[in-house]
Amino acid sequence: MNGDDKKNASHRLSSRLVQAAFLAIVLLLWFLATTKWGVSRILLPNPVNVWHQLVDIVASGAFIPDLRVTLGELAAAFAIAMSLGVTIGYLISRSRYWIRVFEPLLSAIYAIPIILFLPLYVLLLGLGPASKIALGATISFFPIVLSTIAGFGYVDRRLLTAARSMGANNIQMFRHVLLPAALPVILAGLRLGFTVALLSVIASETIASFAGLGHHIVDLAENMDTARMFAYIAVVIAIVAFLNAVVSKIEGRARWR
Amino acid sequence: MAVTGAKTARPAAGPAAACFRRWLMRHPGVARAGVVILLVAVWEIAARFFLDRDFISPPSTVLASLGELFRTPGVLSALWLTLYEITIGFILSAIIGAAIGLAVGLNRFAHQSFMPIILLLYGLPQITILPIFVLVFGIGVASKIAFGVSHGMFPIMIAVAAGVQKIEPVYFNSARSMGASRWHLLRYVIFPHLVPSFFTGLRLGMSGVLLGVLLAELYVSTAGIGYFTSIFTQNFDATKLIGLVSVLAAIAIALNESVRRIELHYARWRD
Amino acid sequence: MASAQPAIRVNGVSHQFGEPGEARHVQALLDTSLDVARGELLCLIGPSGCGKSTLLGVMGGLFAPTTGTVAVAGKPVRDPMPRDLAFVFQESALFPWNTVLENVVLGMTFQGVAKAERVPRARRALEAVGLLDFAGHYPAQLSGGMRQRAALARALSLETDILLMDEPFGALDEQTRMVLGEDLSVLLSRSNKTIVFVTHSLGEAVFLADRVAVFSARPGTIKQIIPVDEPHPRKPSFMTAPKFHALRDQLYGLLHDEIRKALSESAQPRRRYDQAVSAESDGEHT
Repeated sequence: MNGDDKKNASHRLSSRLVQAAFLAIVLLLWFLATTKWGVSRILLPNPVNVWHQLVDIVASGAFIPDLRVTLGELAAAFAIAMSLGVTIGYLISRSRYWIRVFEPLLSAIYAIPIILFLPLYVLLLGLGPASKIALGATISFFPIVLSTIAGFGYVDRRLLTAARSMGANNIQMFRHVLLPAALPVILAGLRLGFTVALLSVIASETIASFAGLGHHIVDLAENMDTARMFAYIAVVIAIVAFLNAVVSKIEGRARWR
Repeated sequence: MAVTGAKTARPAAGPAAACFRRWLMRHPGVARAGVVILLVAVWEIAARFFLDRDFISPPSTVLASLGELFRTPGVLSALWLTLYEITIGFILSAIIGAAIGLAVGLNRFAHQSFMPIILLLYGLPQITILPIFVLVFGIGVASKIAFGVSHGMFPIMIAVAAGVQKIEPVYFNSARSMGASRWHLLRYVIFPHLVPSFFTGLRLGMSGVLLGVLLAELYVSTAGIGYFTSIFTQNFDATKLIGLVSVLAAIAIALNESVRRIELHYARWRD
Repeated sequence: MASAQPAIRVNGVSHQFGEPGEARHVQALLDTSLDVARGELLCLIGPSGCGKSTLLGVMGGLFAPTTGTVAVAGKPVRDPMPRDLAFVFQESALFPWNTVLENVVLGMTFQGVAKAERVPRARRALEAVGLLDFAGHYPAQLSGGMRQRAALARALSLETDILLMDEPFGALDEQTRMVLGEDLSVLLSRSNKTIVFVTHSLGEAVFLADRVAVFSARPGTIKQIIPVDEPHPRKPSFMTAPKFHALRDQLYGLLHDEIRKALSESAQPRRRYDQAVSAESDGEHT
């Protein structure tokens, strides 16, 4: 057993080394491409410049106004999707029959790229935050409603029977049995809904907006300021990763399973 | 959840009504179709009588003007081009995804080293680098295909790698004990086992390619679909806009559904 | 056992699931009548699918039978009567997100016990089954036998006159079953509860019951009721007594044909009453 453990440990170490080497090679190639091999500065900026821009963006907080816009849209979209999704999901889950009617319908709509409807929302609500919020809410609604239906609709029936046999009334049934049983599934759906809302808000800002993180990247691209654009992209990726990590943490805390 | 135990007294209804009700219960598909029809009807009535024609158009008008939409110069070719981009993107994703997935999956060390990198790249919000793609590949089909491949190849890669990893060692051992060469192993053990995972990957890959291509198309407002969505929006031509979006949605549904059916067919021998 | 009014009176109960002609139709019970005397432990035994769990569900008011009536202490049963009847199910129906203590307290919350009373009563019940040390544990942390003991504690804490137990030890290994069976017998001797106990096991039925009701194969009806004349608490030595073996053989003789019949039946769905409950509420809009 000891020999095996040693082998595993050395494998893990060497794979880490390979990953580090991979990263180093990519960086090296990037650097060479821009300095020695004459790749156009417009297409691929010098990594050193990118780093300088990155430091500047973070230090000066240039991203904060855009961040505020994006977060505002995200918060509104998610709030709408959550309230509608959980409510409607609960109502549908109360009857086996309605679950059978609506679940396939909702899954089918969820399967298409709903970003397609962005132009419609822009037509209706303009280029401002309203269309981003509406689209974000629409896309985010589906994983939330589907997971709510799954959570409430597939509670272990034995638990419901047991509670009924002990005389639980409807309110007690909901508070003490349905809700705790459904919560893990619903929370997973909420986390997915949050991620999807964030991505869709940034996507709609990229495609059709005049403010926000996504829009700023496009702005920099149009001005051919590629070094700063690369840096900004890195900042946005970091923000997205951070938000997702926070939401995952919250979900982990709130679950009992 | 119905919490009452004893049968609740049903309101008195004629036997025909009760029979219909029971039939409806047994065919939820009918109720589903009914819901869709109801929604379309609401859309029709609201758009016709209550809402501003500049912003929303009733489905009847949209349907009627589909012909006009297709006759608008450039629309049909933009649609064909989009379909072309999706197809090429899908094929490329499949090839690249399968090749890398196989390479990574076959070797335990390669899997340990490179899988985390692949998963990291898969988890990136690729929408942020869309402008880079367009900068590098231009506003033509190349950027759309590239962005589509970028989205579609990862699920295929991951599914194939996972599929290879999942093959039970007993199959390898028994084949090798019978003298199978590496090529034999690949063709007669690995490939057949990969089929279900590969097709599952293809389904996810198709969703990815669709998303990538459509995002890129919508982003580029000087050519392709993006040009028309932006023109129709600026001209407040709700009818044509809804028409175009609906056609695209129909294409997406059709493609997703076909790949899903193919997957079901090929994944049958798995649990 | 000479109380005038039976604890439970079952009169001409028949029950079917689904309508005749439907694919899922099954006649679970046919014209079953039974009196359960106060303070006795009555076992229901029979082949798979013979309706004994269905009868238990009907007795407990979980659903109404297609025909016939059930009365508990003279009152007709139409809905669950949590003050009179408490259930113990086969698969522990403890809520996994609550601790053992919280589970027992919750039962009393549903029943309507005064808030101040709940924790002390819960602790007493847990002590009676020997689980007081595990009050803060979650069900997933306990073994199967301990979970069933917790379920029993929950039922006991409700202080009902009647306990309805549906193969409570069915999912446990034989040694645990025997020990829990002995504990149950001890408990019975100390209190005056009426218990209706569904089981598959012949030995368990003879060891625990004051009377054993033998069911026929589906559609189920009571074939015969066999008395077991031995005072509680029953010692493990009872299991080696000649009386025990004679009764066990008698039961086996009665059941043998019914079991064969049940085995040879085609794939008709086996109905447990929790599935029955969902069948009843299927298609009902709230």
